[in-house]
Amino acid sequence: MPAEQTMTLEIFRYHPETDSEPRFQAYEVPYDEDWVVLDAINWIKDHVDGTLTHRWSCRMGVCGSCGMMVNGDPKLTCAAFLKDYYPRPVKVEPLVNFPVERDLVVSLDGFMEKLEAVKPYIIRDDVNDTSGGEYLQSPAELARYKQYSMCINCMLCYAACPVAGHEDEFLGPAALALGHRYNRDSRDRGRAERLDVMLAGEAIWGCTFVGECTAVCPKHVDPAGAIQQAKAVAAQEYFRRFAMPRGAKDAGA
Amino acid sequence: MSGRLHRPQRWAWFLERPGYLLFMARELTGFFVAGYLVVLLVTLGRLGGGETAFAEWLQTLSTPGWTVAHAVALAASVWHSVTWFAAVPQAMPIQLGEKRLPAPLAAVVMGYGPWLTVTTIIVWGVLR
Ligand code: SF4
Ligand code: FES
Repeated sequence: MPAEQTMTLEIFRYHPETDSEPRFQAYEVPYDEDWVVLDAINWIKDHVDGTLTHRWSCRMGVCGSCGMMVNGDPKLTCAAFLKDYYPRPVKVEPLVNFPVERDLVVSLDGFMEKLEAVKPYIIRDDVNDTSGGEYLQSPAELARYKQYSMCINCMLCYAACPVAGHEDEFLGPAALALGHRYNRDSRDRGRAERLDVMLAGEAIWGCTFVGECTAVCPKHVDPAGAIQQAKAVAAQEYFRRFAMPRGAKDAGA
Repeated sequence: MSGRLHRPQRWAWFLERPGYLLFMARELTGFFVAGYLVVLLVTLGRLGGGETAFAEWLQTLSTPGWTVAHAVALAASVWHSVTWFAAVPQAMPIQLGEKRLPAPLAAVVMGYGPWLTVTTIIVWGVLR
């Protein structure tokens, strides 16, 4: 019987209560063609080192919680196959551009604030009034925003965005794409409210269209495209408000 | 927040992904487009300065140094334009009912098409 094949995972470790600096720890894991990086991390946690901390849930690219840097690339570790790296070692780090809580787990606080800021839900006054039946939408109206609604909040796009890495005011790819998604929804009336947020400071203008957010997005959301389109809408709104300062907001929806 | 580890971005962040380098190349080639504009403005200024001033300026522009500079600037400007035309379908998608105009076609309709048309008109106007 052939000896079991193995491969090396170099994993970023940081425990705030004991470590002043992060370090990398190497683990030998069994190599299995069908394994993804997440399987190998789970194997380490189950068999070698229970103190290793990471996030995951669905193991099928839906929950968006297993994002990490794999050899420097932001990846869903449940979709990154070991066979694409074997036999070279794989380096696993927490997503960059986020503070690290512990080992491979990053803090989501900043992202959640930005996501909330764009009001990613349908806004309209008559939302409880169902007497007129459903709010119908044609397939063409759905097509206007569907792509931007596929986001799973995995935050790979933030890790790929150099602006998100140094500009706190910038709302970032996923939040802006979701804001744009609702602005394009025929049932929504909240565009003016969202534009208030998007027009402020560097919120949207921080984007320089590097485009790597779109390159790494596992759901083909194309946040870079959404942001450029949202910029065009925001620019029109900016000039409209400049030309008609009074009552401009009311007309926005 | 205490305990959380902040890892600041490296100043040389643009070396970290090939996509960042391409972005920097796209941005820096913009300077050559601006350079063209400066040359055009100076040319117009000389034209206003009389026949001799204009002839002298044309003389200067035909020296080898300027020819090389123009070749480099042309290459950079073409690259700059191509990258922007590639981005047009993303930034200004054309939706036809439930479908989107495919990206290569959108780049032609919104980018290369108008560019070639305008260029042809100008070239025709100059060579006529
Ligand atoms: S836009 Fe794409 S990369 Fe960004 S959070 Fe959503 S699914 Fe993830
Ligand atoms: S574990 Fe849910 S997306 Fe990877």
